[in-house]
Amino acid sequence: MLGKGVVGGGGGTKAPKPSFVSYVRPEEIHTNEKEVTEKEVTLHLLPGEQLLCEASTVLKYVQEDSCQHGVYGRLVCTDFKIAFLGDDESALDNDETQFKNKVIGENDITLHCVDQIYGVFDEKKKTLFGQLKKYPEKLIIHCKDLRVFQFCLRYTKEEEVKRIVSGIIHHTQAPKLLKRLFLFSYATAAQNNTVTDPKNHTVMFDTLKDWCWELERTKGNMKYKAVSVNEGYKVCERLPAYFVVPTPLPEENVQRFQGHGIPIWCWSCHNGSALLKMSALPKEQDDGILQIQKSFLDGIYKTIHRPPYEVVKTEDLSSNFLSLQEIQTAYSKFKQLFLIDNSTEFWDTDIKWFSLLESSSWLDIIRRCLKKAIEITECMEAQNMNVLLLEENASDLCCLISSLVQLMMDPHCRTRIGFQSLIQKEWVMGGHCFLDRCNHLRQNDKEEVPVFLLFLDCVWQLVHQHPPAFEFTETYLTVLSDSLYIPIFSTFFFNSPHQKDTNMHQRQLSLPLTQSKSSPKRGFFREETDHLIKNLLGKRISKLINSSDELQDNFREFYDSWHSKSTDYHGLLLPHIEGPEIKVWAQRYLRWIPEAQILGGGQVATMSKLLEMMEEVQSLQEKIDERHHSQQAPQAEGPCLLRNSARLSSLFPFALLQRHSSKPVLPTSGWKALGDEDDLAKREDEFVDLGDV
Amino acid sequence: MWWGGRGQSFNIAPQKEEPEMGSVQENRMPEPRSRQPSSCLASRCLPGEQILAWAPGVRKGLEPELSGTLICTNFRVTFQPCGWQWNQTLVHGYTVLYLLTSVSGLSRVQLLRPGSLHKFIPEEILIHGRDFRLLRVGFEAGGLEPQAFQVTMAIVQARAQSNQAQQYSGITLSKAGQGSGSRKPPIPLMETAEDWETERKKQAARGWRVSTVNERFDVATSLPRYFWVPNRILDSEVRRAYGHFHQGRGPRLSWHHPGGSDLLRCGGFYTASDPNKEDIRAVELMLQAGHSDVVLVDTMDELPSLADVQLAHLRLRALCLPDSSVAEDKWLSALEGTRWLDYVRACLRKASDISVLVTSRVRSVILQERGDRDLNGLLSSLVQLLSAPEARTLFGFQSLVQREWVAAGHPFLTRLGGTGASEEAPVFLLFLDCVWQLLQQFPADFEFSEFFLLALHDSVRVPDTLTFLRNTPWERGKQSGQLNSYTQVYTPGYSQPPAGNSFNLQLSVWDWDLRYSNAQILQFQNPGYDPEHCPDSWLPRPQPSFMVPGPPSSVWLFSRGALTPLNQLCPWRDSPSLLAVSSRWLPRPAISSESLADQEWGLPSHWGACPLPPGLLLPGYLGPQIRLWRRCYLRGRPEVQMGLSALTVSGLQDELSHLQELLRKWTPRISPEDHSKKRDPHTILNPTEIAGILKGRAEGDLG
Repeated sequence: MLGKGVVGGGGGTKAPKPSFVSYVRPEEIHTNEKEVTEKEVTLHLLPGEQLLCEASTVLKYVQEDSCQHGVYGRLVCTDFKIAFLGDDESALDNDETQFKNKVIGENDITLHCVDQIYGVFDEKKKTLFGQLKKYPEKLIIHCKDLRVFQFCLRYTKEEEVKRIVSGIIHHTQAPKLLKRLFLFSYATAAQNNTVTDPKNHTVMFDTLKDWCWELERTKGNMKYKAVSVNEGYKVCERLPAYFVVPTPLPEENVQRFQGHGIPIWCWSCHNGSALLKMSALPKEQDDGILQIQKSFLDGIYKTIHRPPYEVVKTEDLSSNFLSLQEIQTAYSKFKQLFLIDNSTEFWDTDIKWFSLLESSSWLDIIRRCLKKAIEITECMEAQNMNVLLLEENASDLCCLISSLVQLMMDPHCRTRIGFQSLIQKEWVMGGHCFLDRCNHLRQNDKEEVPVFLLFLDCVWQLVHQHPPAFEFTETYLTVLSDSLYIPIFSTFFFNSPHQKDTNMHQRQLSLPLTQSKSSPKRGFFREETDHLIKNLLGKRISKLINSSDELQDNFREFYDSWHSKSTDYHGLLLPHIEGPEIKVWAQRYLRWIPEAQILGGGQVATMSKLLEMMEEVQSLQEKIDERHHSQQAPQAEGPCLLRNSARLSSLFPFALLQRHSSKPVLPTSGWKALGDEDDLAKREDEFVDLGDV
Repeated sequence: MWWGGRGQSFNIAPQKEEPEMGSVQENRMPEPRSRQPSSCLASRCLPGEQILAWAPGVRKGLEPELSGTLICTNFRVTFQPCGWQWNQTLVHGYTVLYLLTSVSGLSRVQLLRPGSLHKFIPEEILIHGRDFRLLRVGFEAGGLEPQAFQVTMAIVQARAQSNQAQQYSGITLSKAGQGSGSRKPPIPLMETAEDWETERKKQAARGWRVSTVNERFDVATSLPRYFWVPNRILDSEVRRAYGHFHQGRGPRLSWHHPGGSDLLRCGGFYTASDPNKEDIRAVELMLQAGHSDVVLVDTMDELPSLADVQLAHLRLRALCLPDSSVAEDKWLSALEGTRWLDYVRACLRKASDISVLVTSRVRSVILQERGDRDLNGLLSSLVQLLSAPEARTLFGFQSLVQREWVAAGHPFLTRLGGTGASEEAPVFLLFLDCVWQLLQQFPADFEFSEFFLLALHDSVRVPDTLTFLRNTPWERGKQSGQLNSYTQVYTPGYSQPPAGNSFNLQLSVWDWDLRYSNAQILQFQNPGYDPEHCPDSWLPRPQPSFMVPGPPSSVWLFSRGALTPLNQLCPWRDSPSLLAVSSRWLPRPAISSESLADQEWGLPSHWGACPLPPGLLLPGYLGPQIRLWRRCYLRGRPEVQMGLSALTVSGLQDELSHLQELLRKWTPRISPEDHSKKRDPHTILNPTEIAGILKGRAEGDLG
């Protein structure tokens, strides 16, 4: 089935385009269609990619309705991915090849996407790592995007097994040097392809101008200034080259504690209040140093407490909020719900789905993040206070909370470009340690905390609750979450802008953020939906949180009163955080589970209807235009993405190939007996006939 | 305005009514409500309804708040906003007394029970409906006026002695003032032989005929007067065969699959009877229905019992109360603890399996439940919804409910708690939830919308039509005066139909205009419905091998998700003893577990290559896919119910029709004035903007 991956990559004849486009347009596919069917399945390598080891006659289990049948093929490990090249290409279907990832085929796993590797020895499943004494007969790979692969090595030559298993384990599990990232070989090999996309207006925040522009946009330039004190990372390697601080703050203060203890501007609200962040000063035992720190901080606070600055409220995210440890534990429990080796296991856990989900407390963590963001929003919006987020390095929960606040308060961030700029500003320039948090180098498992994923999940809740307020869809978020593990983009592979700049010499493949194909542009309706969708709400009768705390009351009042009004999608946007309202991001987490597929159903069904109608609207508009101008306008080609496939499945656009003929899930013992009967031939006719109807 | 849904949280409420409500508030001052004479209210009652107490108050929980009158009658509690016409209130303001579960005065929240302390000042009253609705009324002057106390007490007392509603005969056509009796019911009520014949022809069930054997309800009162039996079976045989089934509910056709299969339903075998050979033969012929392949489905297996359903529903209701004490982070396990979703899932799973059985090959599939009045109806309706695109239209669905539930004798009154009997179990509501799940999963396959389901959900306790207020077709027919020869039987109550009122046609729940405004009825349509891949592609295939003479060549029992071969269809043949029942379930030599493990999961391999038959929906029933029907169950809670993308679709549809109209207007003449028209504010989308965005996207994707 890798054939499709090959097709996506252009059959090995074309170099892939530098920007990350997940799903190619049908035309491209059709040109290559013939070649592929005639050709033998070949491994397609990206520029700079090298084949490391391979094994033939590997049986890949096809997880289709838990049928334990498989496909023979070659298992290959390169310095970029693990790939399975299957022989069985007969099932290729035009419709399904329309939406393929250009870089990652269906049977490709980038090395960074590998989460856990298990070996099966005599029916026993064991985690594989380090040097192996015995080689497994079956290899199970859990991916970070929650795919599960099972390869049977029983029919493979012994030395090939040795080579491939130890190769895979070494290249995915062993600690790596930064310089060894595939990113660099790719960048070197593909550098001439660098094209700056003129359409991509994402603000990168790597120049002083970008920050000034942002200050101007949010009208923060009255009280805050962009500084270049850290140009060339002279002061601090954790901070970006340029950033924004309160105007009266002396620049030498920045140098004092290498940027610690400095209030850094994130965003300004229309009423003048601002969101600031600060990394805490290093913890010291020495009283003398503590004294110095205290007086330094007093000075800082004096600056920002004085008018024209609003009252400052400090939110210490390191102490009174989530710990990274909690997030890590919750996610590792949560993801187990979706990493399914076999159906039986799945059905066993399915009965207790809700309590398992709850015990992972991942949803509760999402709720707490959203709640914190609402609280801060309340301070800024209703009480006109400045909020200062405090965290040890100001690069984990700070990024998350401040991005969420901006998403809720600033409609610009809900456009695609605005959202990408936000990620660039708060996460990439904010120094979120993507390298450590994603554990790309496998150097320290403890550092691996899915903070960014948590952020995307929080955003998904917002998108899910208020789809018309966003220009992008959940598919965009899902694709974005996948690109965390594709090492041809530099965005998510560094710990700080400094690390990136010192390692990447040219600006290269900067942002992988590209609108996914199936996104229906709900943002379209933003101007007009207000009369379509009204947020119709009464007052609350009971309080969700029975706390007499004043803060809670303020929060509650703010939350209730916002929800009792109709929603302005161009204004403040708050999520619902009640128990039933926080949901599982089904598209991301369930997309590889064939049992979760609803053929011809799901959101896609509405979506295709929507697109169809949009096309019709467009063609009518064109007709009207024509009539008006009484001249033939050039026929614009409408997007025909969902055209010919009337019954897509709910997993679209992801696991399309899993199950194009849906089987009933009858765990029957009876069918075998049925097959024994002598009217087999007759029945076969019936089946076929039914299919033809 | 649906008051029950906290008004606006139902999107079904037409937006147009809003200004009206605003004006109501403004007019409040010049027109003091408290003088509203109760005699005036009385004239607006249903026949036989008496006003017990009333008090002016303000309906809370809405923006803006509505002022009006809280009225308690012997049938219902209703809040009537002032300034509204009676008709509207009749339509929108329904509740029934036995809906109440708790009543409280707010300043010190108190749960009111008939015996509880009577000294209090009711500032506010909260009424929780059994259908998850919530009515919250604040009394004027802080509840100091005596009327407030009176109405509260009246409600509390009436709640204690509710069960009168069942006596209510429903609105008849003449009483409703809807004109002469020439009006046809909106859907066939399946009360005449013609209805059955028409439906049979529609399904192209050629091997079947309408039997009139139960015309006088002497075979079974719970059966409809007409039903379908195989062509070759005589009525006398039917009568004899039915005697061997529980409550006389023998096998009859539910639905004929266009591919040739038949879906039958029947009650349990009446084991105490000792049928002779002839009878057994008749029973077997009826079950076999001319097919060589017969699958008997044990409906009760793997599905919840009635008591389970009731318990789950009670728990769900408790959980969904607005002041339920469940913490947010425990919500999910509490939801799981109700087991309601589990039951929904079990129903869907079983229905999905059965529809595969019906579709995969030509056979007779028999749903067998002991009573044949609850789960059989649920499964048979679900199977039809899954396999027949016609059943997914508004008309089709209503006919389906009328046929498989109302006419088939689902004991609505008992199951919904109308008789106070212990057999209360909201099986029908469980069914509606299942349908809602399907609607969620296949948003383009149903012609009706969630609002329709909600309207149906709310209608089951509304005492204006008899559809859901009787247990059997016999009782229903008796009351509606169709069976004049049987009305000698004494029926309590005032509603004895006067003689010669055969024109006095009974209205049914399907007369939606009785209760809902046109704008609301329009919302019953699903804007995302895409009939293209539905009924047209559904070509009934002639089945040459329909009638196979001779005994069935294979008989299976479908149980626990698996098919097991059966020795015989009926329990009596070889061993006429009572023990036969248990021995019947013993399968032929069991397949060893080892071979089971080795066996391929699922169907024979040739099925795999065969695409899904068009029109067949296979629902998902994984934990994450079964969702809570928030718009229904969480109505009492303040969370917003958003229409999500469905509203976008309806917006686009408006846009489309607008454009089409525009284009039509322009077709005859093109003049420069039209330019300004095109840019009028109605135009939702700016054409250049669309083109730009679409083009941009296309390029971006190519990029």
